[in-house]
Amino acid sequence: MVVDPREAAREAPLIGAGGPGETAGAPIRQASLWQDALRRYMRNRGALIAGSVFILLLAFCIFAPIFSPYDANDADYTQTYQSPSAAHPFGTDQAGRDLLTRAALGGRVSIGIGFAATLTILLIGVAYGSVSGFIGGKLDNGLMRFLDALYGLPYLPFAIITLAIFGTVNFWTMVVALSVASWFTAARIVRGQVITLKENDYVRAAKAVGARWHRVLTRHLLPNTLGILIIAVFLELPGVILGEAFLSFIGLGINPPDASWGSMAQDGYQAYRVYPHIIVVPSVCIAILILCANFVADGLRDALDPRTRET
Amino acid sequence: MALLEVRNLHTHFFGREGVVHAVDGVDFDVDRGKTLGIVGESGCGKSVTALSIMGLIPRPPARIVEGSITFEGRDLTELSERELEDVRGHEIAMIFQDPMTSLNPTLKIGTQLTESLRRHLGMSKGEARRRAVELLEEVHIPNAEQRLDDYPHRYSGGMRQRVMIAMAIACNPKLLIADEPTTALDVTVQARILDLLEELRLRHDMAMILITHDMGVVAEAADEVSVMYAGQIVERAAILDLFDRPEHPYTEALLGALPQIEDERTREERLTTIPGRPPDLVNPPPACRFAPRCPYSGLGDACSVELPELREIRPAHWVRSAHPASEREEAPIEVRA
Repeated sequence: MVVDPREAAREAPLIGAGGPGETAGAPIRQASLWQDALRRYMRNRGALIAGSVFILLLAFCIFAPIFSPYDANDADYTQTYQSPSAAHPFGTDQAGRDLLTRAALGGRVSIGIGFAATLTILLIGVAYGSVSGFIGGKLDNGLMRFLDALYGLPYLPFAIITLAIFGTVNFWTMVVALSVASWFTAARIVRGQVITLKENDYVRAAKAVGARWHRVLTRHLLPNTLGILIIAVFLELPGVILGEAFLSFIGLGINPPDASWGSMAQDGYQAYRVYPHIIVVPSVCIAILILCANFVADGLRDALDPRTRET
Repeated sequence: MALLEVRNLHTHFFGREGVVHAVDGVDFDVDRGKTLGIVGESGCGKSVTALSIMGLIPRPPARIVEGSITFEGRDLTELSERELEDVRGHEIAMIFQDPMTSLNPTLKIGTQLTESLRRHLGMSKGEARRRAVELLEEVHIPNAEQRLDDYPHRYSGGMRQRVMIAMAIACNPKLLIADEPTTALDVTVQARILDLLEELRLRHDMAMILITHDMGVVAEAADEVSVMYAGQIVERAAILDLFDRPEHPYTEALLGALPQIEDERTREERLTTIPGRPPDLVNPPPACRFAPRCPYSGLGDACSVELPELREIRPAHWVRSAHPASEREEAPIEVRA
């Protein structure tokens, strides 16, 4: 092959689109995919604020009950319906319980159920969707038609029926009830991703070195869906938390004296005309959480999408 | 006995629009330690032939409907998927066209490089890593030890192709299939990759199938060449014989379409092109596939009715044409559009 001197000259200092030139081998500043993503996330102001507020809210839920002088379930009937004051920054409820402590404790339950249910949803979704998409053909067709049929199931009525079947309401039955009819979208997302990804050259290359199908799926395909899954966590979270709040509000939630934000709102509903702060506190908590989750999801999507990566 | 014997291979794609005869009766041998070049234009079935050998054709829609692929006495078309997995990457390895997309962006180079070592040779993590360093050094990547922990996006195209080559030779395969290994690379990098392949092939005593559409690449690297057209082999010969005395009108046309830098006369002449397009592989003509574009085939000719056999026109030179150059007296018929 004839080497044109102009070609050679052009090659020497060339920094190709894919990175350093052929001969460059010196260690370059390390930046992994995740460090890149973090940098891009930090640059998005809305997402950064939302993420900070989210973390503050988590910290509040975790630490407030520890440092609070009050016990969340201690009724004090001399202190009922107190408006916010120095002693009770968020006021007290009809049983004289400190709302700040109670909001934090309710937050633990709400956020805990929210994350647990979201992870369950994703787990089922990943298993169902990846198998369906990866194997394809008739099995894929069958699984997807089955999913289409399930899609008709309304989410909340199904959660209520599930709770009725269990007969008791606690953390784990709540998680099951909220996941049972809401993993369909996650399964579809994962299936779509897997179908797109499995056409990639690197999948064929992995097969060409003799990788078995389960290795191709778990090592080569699923890590590539991780970005989407992290985004999906924050997209699913608001819906699940709202669902939990709704169930608690209509009296199907966590049993008293334990609280979630939904059951606290239910408590406040009975006196909202006279003492609005009791319903406002949990409602604002729910609103902040959902708003933050949406902003975080947005920021993560931009940060993890390789197409937005700048050089 | 040759290392690889492909006999009467037919790989068809069963699509909505009908059956695409992507590979339609291909025969060739690859001897130990030799390089066979397969040339042809896009869509002539080169890559499907390679994928058929690897057992990597997408099923469905594709299927090997006829023929055998005998590798060291075993017919690969009769192996189960499980048995094929043991052959792939171990005894037969493959390099793909586009190094930019052939490495998984979420796995470190080291992880991808050690995959076949651990899979086929049962090496421990530490052993595989040491071997991986050697392999990267063997394909001339500097700072091999540190570079193992990099992700693919930190490698340039040429370096990625070197990694792909290192992955392919990791288990000392007896046969290496290189499917357009240089097409996606810069011209200067192409030459270096070809040199590297040749160096490794000699050192490891591998046979190679080099698939390309670039006559220059085969000229440089192959011992023997098969020219493919529309799913069939139309000419097969030793490399020098093919370039000096091409027999098939298609091969002649391919060589005529190459720019000649050394030749003063050609500066004034235009490059020749082949009129028409390759035939539709859904309904291939029963006759010679090249007849509609062949300057020597008249309308009433036998070759536009019946498919000519691949025959040995002189020792070790096979051609599938009714009008090979050495039997030709007539001048080309006026080109039909």
